Amino acid sequence: MTHPSPKSEFIQGIMDQLPLQLGVVPFGLVFGVLGMASGLSAWQTILMSSVIFGGASQVVFAQLWMAGAAPIIVGSSVAVLNLRHVLYSVAVAKYLRLLSLRWRILLGYLLTDEAFAISIKRFEHDPTPRNAHYHLLGSGVTLWAFWQLSTIAGVVLGATLPAHLNLDFAIPMTFIAIVLPSLRHVPHVLAAVSSGLVAVFGQSLPYNLWIIAAAITGIVIGAQAEKWKAQQ
Amino acid sequence: MIWAIMIVTGFATFLMRFSMFSGLIHRALPPALDRYLTYVPIAVLSAIIAASVFISPETQMPTIWNTRVLAAVLAMAVAFRTKSVIATLIAGLGVLWVLENLF
Repeated sequence: MTHPSPKSEFIQGIMDQLPLQLGVVPFGLVFGVLGMASGLSAWQTILMSSVIFGGASQVVFAQLWMAGAAPIIVGSSVAVLNLRHVLYSVAVAKYLRLLSLRWRILLGYLLTDEAFAISIKRFEHDPTPRNAHYHLLGSGVTLWAFWQLSTIAGVVLGATLPAHLNLDFAIPMTFIAIVLPSLRHVPHVLAAVSSGLVAVFGQSLPYNLWIIAAAITGIVIGAQAEKWKAQQ
Repeated sequence: MIWAIMIVTGFATFLMRFSMFSGLIHRALPPALDRYLTYVPIAVLSAIIAASVFISPETQMPTIWNTRVLAAVLAMAVAFRTKSVIATLIAGLGVLWVLENLF
Protein backbone atom coordinates (compact mmCIF):
# COMPACT_ATOMS: atom_id res chain seq x y z
CA MET A 1 0.00 0.00 0.00
CA THR A 2 1.35 3.42 -0.90
CA HIS A 3 1.35 6.19 1.65
CA PRO A 4 0.65 9.86 0.95
CA SER A 5 3.78 12.02 1.18
CA PRO A 6 4.47 14.16 4.27
CA LYS A 7 3.70 17.26 2.24
CA SER A 8 0.33 16.00 1.03
CA GLU A 9 -0.60 14.87 4.57
CA PHE A 10 0.39 18.30 5.94
CA ILE A 11 -1.68 20.12 3.32
CA GLN A 12 -4.62 17.77 3.87
CA GLY A 13 -4.40 18.55 7.60
CA ILE A 14 -4.60 22.26 6.85
CA MET A 15 -7.51 21.82 4.45
CA ASP A 16 -9.44 19.60 6.86
CA GLN A 17 -8.93 22.09 9.69
CA LEU A 18 -9.82 25.26 7.77
CA PRO A 19 -13.64 24.98 7.95
CA LEU A 20 -13.47 24.78 11.75
CA GLN A 21 -11.80 28.19 11.83
CA LEU A 22 -15.26 29.66 11.22
CA GLY A 23 -15.91 28.74 14.83
CA VAL A 24 -12.41 29.32 16.17
CA VAL A 25 -12.03 32.90 14.94
CA PRO A 26 -15.20 34.22 16.62
CA PHE A 27 -14.23 32.42 19.83
CA GLY A 28 -10.72 33.94 19.65
CA LEU A 29 -12.27 37.38 19.23
CA VAL A 30 -14.52 36.75 22.22
CA PHE A 31 -11.57 35.64 24.33
CA GLY A 32 -9.53 38.70 23.31
CA VAL A 33 -12.35 40.99 24.41
CA LEU A 34 -13.06 39.01 27.58
CA GLY A 35 -9.39 38.91 28.60
CA MET A 36 -9.13 42.68 28.50
CA ALA A 37 -12.50 43.08 30.21
CA SER A 38 -11.27 40.76 32.98
CA GLY A 39 -8.45 43.13 33.83
CA LEU A 40 -5.65 41.26 32.06
CA SER A 41 -3.18 43.36 30.10
CA ALA A 42 -3.03 43.12 26.31
CA TRP A 43 0.19 41.10 26.56
CA GLN A 44 -1.26 38.76 29.16
CA THR A 45 -4.35 38.15 27.05
CA ILE A 46 -2.40 37.59 23.84
CA LEU A 47 0.32 35.40 25.33
CA MET A 48 -2.18 33.29 27.24
CA SER A 49 -3.33 32.00 23.85
CA SER A 50 0.16 30.61 23.28
CA VAL A 51 1.00 29.56 26.84
CA ILE A 52 -2.25 27.74 27.70
CA PHE A 53 -3.58 27.38 24.13
CA GLY A 54 -7.05 26.16 25.07
CA GLY A 55 -10.14 28.26 24.44
CA ALA A 56 -12.49 27.22 27.21
CA SER A 57 -9.72 27.01 29.80
CA GLN A 58 -8.52 30.52 28.94
CA VAL A 59 -12.04 31.87 29.42
CA VAL A 60 -12.29 30.12 32.81
CA PHE A 61 -8.85 31.44 33.76
CA ALA A 62 -9.84 35.04 32.91
CA GLN A 63 -13.19 34.81 34.69
CA LEU A 64 -11.74 33.33 37.88
CA TRP A 65 -8.91 35.85 37.82
CA MET A 66 -11.41 38.69 37.52
CA ALA A 67 -13.40 37.22 40.42
CA GLY A 68 -10.27 37.32 42.55
CA ALA A 69 -10.05 33.55 43.02
CA ALA A 70 -6.96 32.15 44.77
CA PRO A 71 -4.17 31.01 42.40
CA ILE A 72 -4.65 27.39 43.44
CA ILE A 73 -8.34 27.59 42.47
CA VAL A 74 -7.56 29.17 39.11
CA GLY A 75 -4.86 26.60 38.35
CA SER A 76 -6.78 23.55 39.51
CA SER A 77 -10.01 24.58 37.73
CA VAL A 78 -8.17 24.96 34.45
CA ALA A 79 -6.26 21.72 34.99
CA VAL A 80 -9.42 19.71 35.66
CA LEU A 81 -11.17 21.32 32.68
CA ASN A 82 -8.24 20.19 30.54
CA LEU A 83 -8.21 16.60 31.84
CA ARG A 84 -10.06 15.61 28.67
CA HIS A 85 -6.79 16.09 26.84
CA VAL A 86 -5.46 12.98 28.58
CA LEU A 87 -8.20 11.09 26.74
CA TYR A 88 -7.03 12.61 23.45
CA SER A 89 -3.47 11.71 24.35
CA VAL A 90 -4.42 8.07 24.97
CA ALA A 91 -6.36 7.93 21.71
CA VAL A 92 -3.48 9.19 19.53
CA ALA A 93 -0.67 7.54 21.51
CA LYS A 94 -0.45 4.41 19.38
CA TYR A 95 0.02 6.52 16.26
CA LEU A 96 2.67 8.82 17.73
CA ARG A 97 4.67 6.74 20.19
CA LEU A 98 7.46 5.85 17.77
CA LEU A 99 8.14 9.44 16.68
CA SER A 100 11.19 11.36 17.90
CA LEU A 101 10.91 13.28 21.17
CA ARG A 102 10.94 16.59 19.30
CA TRP A 103 7.96 15.53 17.21
CA ARG A 104 6.06 14.22 20.21
CA ILE A 105 6.61 17.43 22.19
CA LEU A 106 5.46 19.55 19.25
CA LEU A 107 2.37 17.44 18.59
CA GLY A 108 1.61 17.32 22.31
CA TYR A 109 1.55 21.11 22.41
CA LEU A 110 -0.74 21.21 19.35
CA LEU A 111 -3.21 18.54 20.57
CA THR A 112 -6.34 20.68 21.03
CA ASP A 113 -10.03 19.74 20.74
CA GLU A 114 -10.22 20.74 17.09
CA ALA A 115 -6.88 19.30 15.97
CA PHE A 116 -7.72 16.02 17.69
CA ALA A 117 -11.25 15.86 16.29
CA ILE A 118 -9.99 16.39 12.75
CA SER A 119 -6.83 14.28 12.75
CA ILE A 120 -8.13 11.27 14.69
CA LYS A 121 -10.40 10.64 11.71
CA ARG A 122 -7.31 10.55 9.50
CA PHE A 123 -5.50 8.19 11.88
CA GLU A 124 -8.46 5.82 12.15
CA HIS A 125 -9.05 5.84 8.41
CA ASP A 126 -5.71 4.15 7.77
CA PRO A 127 -4.59 1.51 10.31
CA THR A 128 -0.90 1.85 9.45
CA PRO A 129 -0.43 5.51 8.63
CA ARG A 130 3.19 6.33 7.86
CA ASN A 131 3.05 10.09 7.47
CA ALA A 132 -0.23 10.80 9.23
CA HIS A 133 1.57 12.79 11.96
CA TYR A 134 2.05 15.45 9.31
CA HIS A 135 -1.74 15.63 9.11
CA LEU A 136 -1.91 16.43 12.83
CA LEU A 137 0.92 18.93 12.38
CA GLY A 138 -0.96 20.67 9.57
CA SER A 139 -4.27 20.79 11.42
CA GLY A 140 -2.60 21.76 14.71
CA VAL A 141 -0.51 24.58 13.22
CA THR A 142 -3.53 25.93 11.34
CA LEU A 143 -5.60 26.06 14.50
CA TRP A 144 -2.70 27.63 16.42
CA ALA A 145 -2.22 30.42 13.86
CA PHE A 146 -5.93 31.28 13.65
CA TRP A 147 -6.27 31.22 17.44
CA GLN A 148 -3.35 33.61 17.96
CA LEU A 149 -4.45 36.01 15.24
CA SER A 150 -8.07 36.09 16.37
CA THR A 151 -7.03 36.67 20.00
CA ILE A 152 -4.92 39.65 18.88
CA ALA A 153 -7.83 40.91 16.76
CA GLY A 154 -10.15 40.61 19.77
CA VAL A 155 -7.75 42.60 21.95
CA VAL A 156 -7.43 45.30 19.29
CA LEU A 157 -11.12 45.51 18.36
CA GLY A 158 -12.21 45.18 21.99
CA ALA A 159 -15.64 46.45 22.89
CA THR A 160 -16.43 47.46 19.31
CA LEU A 161 -17.53 43.84 18.70
CA PRO A 162 -21.31 43.59 18.97
CA ALA A 163 -22.44 41.26 21.76
CA HIS A 164 -25.69 40.37 20.00
CA LEU A 165 -23.86 38.25 17.41
CA ASN A 166 -23.50 35.46 20.03
CA LEU A 167 -19.99 34.69 18.80
CA ASP A 168 -19.36 32.32 21.72
CA PHE A 169 -21.99 30.05 20.16
CA ALA A 170 -19.81 29.41 17.10
CA ILE A 171 -17.60 26.71 18.67
CA PRO A 172 -20.45 24.41 19.75
CA MET A 173 -21.93 24.80 16.25
CA THR A 174 -18.71 23.52 14.64
CA PHE A 175 -18.65 20.63 17.14
CA ILE A 176 -22.23 19.77 16.14
CA ALA A 177 -21.06 19.61 12.53
CA ILE A 178 -18.35 17.12 13.55
CA VAL A 179 -20.38 14.97 15.94
CA LEU A 180 -23.75 14.63 14.20
CA PRO A 181 -22.48 12.95 11.01
CA SER A 182 -20.36 10.59 13.12
CA LEU A 183 -23.40 9.17 14.96
CA ARG A 184 -23.77 6.07 12.81
CA HIS A 185 -24.89 3.42 15.34
CA VAL A 186 -27.10 3.32 18.41
CA PRO A 187 -24.07 3.08 20.76
CA HIS A 188 -22.75 6.34 19.29
CA VAL A 189 -26.04 8.06 20.05
CA LEU A 190 -26.10 6.62 23.57
CA ALA A 191 -22.57 7.92 24.16
CA ALA A 192 -23.50 11.41 22.96
CA VAL A 193 -26.76 11.60 24.92
CA SER A 194 -25.37 10.21 28.19
CA SER A 195 -22.35 12.50 28.01
CA GLY A 196 -24.61 15.48 27.30
CA LEU A 197 -26.88 14.68 30.25
CA VAL A 198 -23.98 14.44 32.69
CA ALA A 199 -22.54 17.68 31.30
CA VAL A 200 -25.79 19.56 31.83
CA PHE A 201 -26.71 18.16 35.24
CA GLY A 202 -23.14 18.01 36.54
CA GLN A 203 -22.51 21.73 36.16
CA SER A 204 -22.46 22.22 39.91
CA LEU A 205 -19.60 19.76 40.40
CA PRO A 206 -16.54 21.54 41.78
CA TYR A 207 -13.53 22.48 39.65
CA ASN A 208 -15.42 22.01 36.37
CA LEU A 209 -15.34 18.24 36.92
CA TRP A 210 -18.49 18.01 34.79
CA ILE A 211 -16.57 17.75 31.56
CA ILE A 212 -14.38 14.78 32.46
CA ALA A 213 -17.28 13.08 34.28
CA ALA A 214 -19.45 13.50 31.19
CA ALA A 215 -16.74 12.30 28.83
CA ILE A 216 -16.01 9.14 30.83
CA THR A 217 -19.73 8.38 31.18
CA GLY A 218 -20.24 8.71 27.43
CA ILE A 219 -17.19 6.60 26.60
CA VAL A 220 -18.13 3.77 28.97
CA ILE A 221 -21.80 3.71 27.99
CA GLY A 222 -21.01 3.82 24.27
CA ALA A 223 -18.37 1.10 24.44
CA GLN A 224 -20.52 -1.15 26.67
CA ALA A 225 -23.53 -0.76 24.39
CA GLU A 226 -21.36 -1.69 21.43
CA LYS A 227 -20.11 -4.77 23.30
CA TRP A 228 -23.64 -5.94 24.17
CA LYS A 229 -24.79 -5.32 20.63
CA ALA A 230 -21.89 -7.43 19.31
CA GLN A 231 -22.72 -10.29 21.71
CA GLN A 232 -26.34 -10.53 20.61
CA MET B 1 1.91 36.35 40.00
CA ILE B 2 -0.49 35.99 37.10
CA TRP B 3 2.40 35.03 34.83
CA ALA B 4 3.44 32.27 37.22
CA ILE B 5 -0.10 30.82 37.35
CA MET B 6 -0.40 31.09 33.59
CA ILE B 7 2.89 29.30 32.94
CA VAL B 8 2.21 26.55 35.48
CA THR B 9 -1.31 26.02 34.07
CA GLY B 10 0.00 26.03 30.52
CA PHE B 11 2.68 23.51 31.40
CA ALA B 12 0.13 21.28 33.14
CA THR B 13 -2.08 21.44 30.05
CA PHE B 14 0.86 20.51 27.85
CA LEU B 15 1.73 17.56 30.11
CA MET B 16 -1.82 16.25 29.88
CA ARG B 17 -1.74 16.43 26.09
CA PHE B 18 1.74 14.90 25.92
CA SER B 19 1.37 12.35 28.74
CA MET B 20 0.35 9.20 26.90
CA PHE B 21 2.99 9.41 24.18
CA SER B 22 5.67 10.99 26.37
CA GLY B 23 7.62 7.74 26.55
CA LEU B 24 7.34 7.87 30.35
CA ILE B 25 4.57 5.30 30.18
CA HIS B 26 6.17 2.29 28.59
CA ARG B 27 3.50 -0.33 28.60
CA ALA B 28 1.49 -0.56 25.44
CA LEU B 29 -2.18 -0.01 26.08
CA PRO B 30 -4.34 -3.14 26.17
CA PRO B 31 -6.18 -3.68 22.85
CA ALA B 32 -9.46 -3.93 24.78
CA LEU B 33 -9.12 -0.19 25.34
CA ASP B 34 -9.47 0.49 21.62
CA ARG B 35 -13.22 0.09 21.75
CA TYR B 36 -13.38 2.79 24.43
CA LEU B 37 -11.03 5.16 22.63
CA THR B 38 -13.20 5.36 19.54
CA TYR B 39 -15.82 7.06 21.74
CA VAL B 40 -13.48 9.83 22.93
CA PRO B 41 -14.35 12.43 20.26
CA ILE B 42 -18.12 11.85 20.44
CA ALA B 43 -18.24 11.87 24.24
CA VAL B 44 -16.05 14.92 24.83
CA LEU B 45 -17.51 17.08 22.08
CA SER B 46 -21.08 16.14 23.08
CA ALA B 47 -20.36 17.28 26.63
CA ILE B 48 -19.14 20.66 25.37
CA ILE B 49 -22.10 21.03 22.99
CA ALA B 50 -24.66 20.12 25.66
CA ALA B 51 -23.24 22.55 28.21
CA SER B 52 -23.20 25.39 25.65
CA VAL B 53 -26.75 24.72 24.47
CA PHE B 54 -28.72 23.56 27.51
CA ILE B 55 -27.23 25.84 30.16
CA SER B 56 -28.93 29.21 30.10
CA PRO B 57 -26.36 32.02 29.83
CA GLU B 58 -28.55 34.21 32.05
CA THR B 59 -29.33 31.85 34.92
CA GLN B 60 -26.54 29.26 34.55
CA MET B 61 -29.26 26.63 35.07
CA PRO B 62 -30.31 23.71 32.83
CA THR B 63 -33.05 24.61 30.36
CA ILE B 64 -34.78 22.71 27.58
CA TRP B 65 -36.45 25.65 25.92
CA ASN B 66 -34.64 28.79 24.90
CA THR B 67 -33.37 30.36 21.71
CA ARG B 68 -30.07 28.47 21.89
CA VAL B 69 -31.80 25.09 22.11
CA LEU B 70 -33.95 25.91 19.10
CA ALA B 71 -30.95 27.15 17.10
CA ALA B 72 -28.95 24.04 18.04
CA VAL B 73 -31.76 21.66 17.02
CA LEU B 74 -31.93 23.28 13.59
CA ALA B 75 -28.13 23.25 13.33
CA MET B 76 -28.17 19.52 14.15
CA ALA B 77 -30.65 18.86 11.35
CA VAL B 78 -28.46 20.82 8.94
CA ALA B 79 -25.31 19.01 10.14
CA PHE B 80 -27.02 15.65 9.71
CA ARG B 81 -28.13 16.40 6.17
CA THR B 82 -25.18 18.39 4.82
CA LYS B 83 -22.19 17.26 6.97
CA SER B 84 -20.98 20.82 6.30
CA VAL B 85 -19.34 22.91 9.03
CA ILE B 86 -20.12 26.13 7.18
CA ALA B 87 -23.80 25.32 6.62
CA THR B 88 -24.20 24.20 10.25
CA LEU B 89 -22.57 27.33 11.60
CA ILE B 90 -24.60 29.67 9.42
CA ALA B 91 -27.82 27.84 10.35
CA GLY B 92 -27.08 27.88 14.09
CA LEU B 93 -25.83 31.45 14.44
CA GLY B 94 -28.32 32.74 11.84
CA VAL B 95 -31.35 31.24 13.57
CA LEU B 96 -30.13 32.44 16.94
CA TRP B 97 -29.64 35.96 15.58
CA VAL B 98 -33.09 36.02 14.00
CA LEU B 99 -34.78 34.67 17.15
CA GLU B 100 -33.06 37.14 19.45
CA ASN B 101 -33.28 40.23 17.29
CA LEU B 102 -36.50 39.97 15.32
CA PHE B 103 -38.86 38.58 17.93
